[in-house]
Amino acid sequence: MTSATERSYSRRDTVLFAVCIALSLVGLLSPAQWGLGIADRLRETVLLPLVLLQNRAEEGRTSRERFRVVTAERDSASYLSQGLPSLLAENERLRHLLALGRRIRTPYVAAEVLHQPLPTDGRTLLLSSGRREGVSEFDPVVAPEGLIGMVLTAGEHSSVAMTWAHPEFRVSAFTVTGNASGVVAPSASESRGEGALEFRGVPYRDSVPVGTLVLSSGLGGVYPKGIPVGTVIGVAREQAGWERVYRLRPAANTGSAAHVLILVAPSDADFVPAFPSDSALLAARLDSIARIRRADSLAEAARTAAAARAESLAVARRDTVRRRAPRPAAPAPDTVRAPAVPPRTPPVPTGIPAPTTQAP
Amino acid sequence: MTPGRASRLQLALVLTILVLLHFYVRPRLWSARVSPDFLLIALMLFSMRSSPGVAAVAGFIVGLVADSLTPARFGAAALAHTIVGYLASWGRSLFFADNLLVNAGFVAAGLWLRDLVLLLASGTAQGRLLVELTVYSPLQALSTALFAILALAAFREWFAIRLDA
Repeated sequence: MTSATERSYSRRDTVLFAVCIALSLVGLLSPAQWGLGIADRLRETVLLPLVLLQNRAEEGRTSRERFRVVTAERDSASYLSQGLPSLLAENERLRHLLALGRRIRTPYVAAEVLHQPLPTDGRTLLLSSGRREGVSEFDPVVAPEGLIGMVLTAGEHSSVAMTWAHPEFRVSAFTVTGNASGVVAPSASESRGEGALEFRGVPYRDSVPVGTLVLSSGLGGVYPKGIPVGTVIGVAREQAGWERVYRLRPAANTGSAAHVLILVAPSDADFVPAFPSDSALLAARLDSIARIRRADSLAEAARTAAAARAESLAVARRDTVRRRAPRPAAPAPDTVRAPAVPPRTPPVPTGIPAPTTQAP
Repeated sequence: MTPGRASRLQLALVLTILVLLHFYVRPRLWSARVSPDFLLIALMLFSMRSSPGVAAVAGFIVGLVADSLTPARFGAAALAHTIVGYLASWGRSLFFADNLLVNAGFVAAGLWLRDLVLLLASGTAQGRLLVELTVYSPLQALSTALFAILALAAFREWFAIRLDA
């Protein structure tokens, strides 16, 4: 038989458990904005020291990595400095290509991603920059590979980004070739899970080949134009004669992203030049080849011009020499008859008898 | 200082260390999805030494922290941690809580159950749910259990843990 104390103890436990479950369910079923507001307030007050602590740890980890990268770059640079200057120029050009921050000409805020050990971590990411750094809601978040998502809530010191894996993520997009446009959303397929995206609303007549890059179109006012969203890896499903839904491999991995850039620029900015796709790189390469060819042809033209000039000079010189050369004097009757100028005779030095010709 | 008060202080000290490890050491470890969850270790250690109601409140608080840092579906983590804390406290009376491996098993099972409830409450697709529960959650449960063993072995005097099987 249980005592009254044990019964009350057990009843108290049950009540506490029921209250906690009820509060959790209220949080779960309440509008998302309420939950986000509470999360923001907790993050900015009670949890602020812990978030800052994790931020320091993340910075420490990434600083070591950055130091290794910088050291490797320095070693490579010192090695290459012993090589050809053209290699150095090429290295610099590639470094420029890879440095996303240099490519984006509009303002942005760099942020560390503070990953959490929960299975839902990929849907939202906790970022180390907040309103103090200029971050606000709906700011796009990008990684060097492409689009990550947008800022859902911005606190004073930290913010939460909704990634492409979030069920409510949508972005208006078009193919890099420009022949198809639609809306990209997380995959709704049960079997494929959350690791893929879908390119929806593509007209049935517009077929998109596998491997085509899909970029944000800039419509909708949140994501700027030209950020890579994913690459087509196949057809997910199609409604006969109406639309095709393509499966996309996301451009950026939310699970492994350690640093991101939060774009605080106006959403009408064009980011196409900042993310050179394969085709853009190909175009750049072709362009550089064309430039080289053009330079070669210019050099060829210069060489040809120089040769032509030299030849014409030679011809002119030859003509001049020909003109100055003594021509065989044709006996002019007038000259024979009455020479205007007496014929030249060698000067005779004074005091020296002129040579006389003697008949043999 | 009375033994009960000393025990509470020792428990509080270990929990504080685990919280610091969670926010300062875990980010320096490998991938976040399989790195040990020190907050869950703290919750399990606390729950196994508390009454079910207090354990449920502790679970709710830990869940609220998790929800604030990963607000993918606010309330899901609070629900999951509340259930795990409550069950861990009840489970103590069914098993030998002074055994090191039983403690580690509790931690691993608690983490897997936490992930199950969290994924179900946050509305995860079936394929992703299977991958999480069969690949990532067991891996994280393993790493978390290993760190729990280390922590319990380091503070075995305080937790009255038997090292013999």
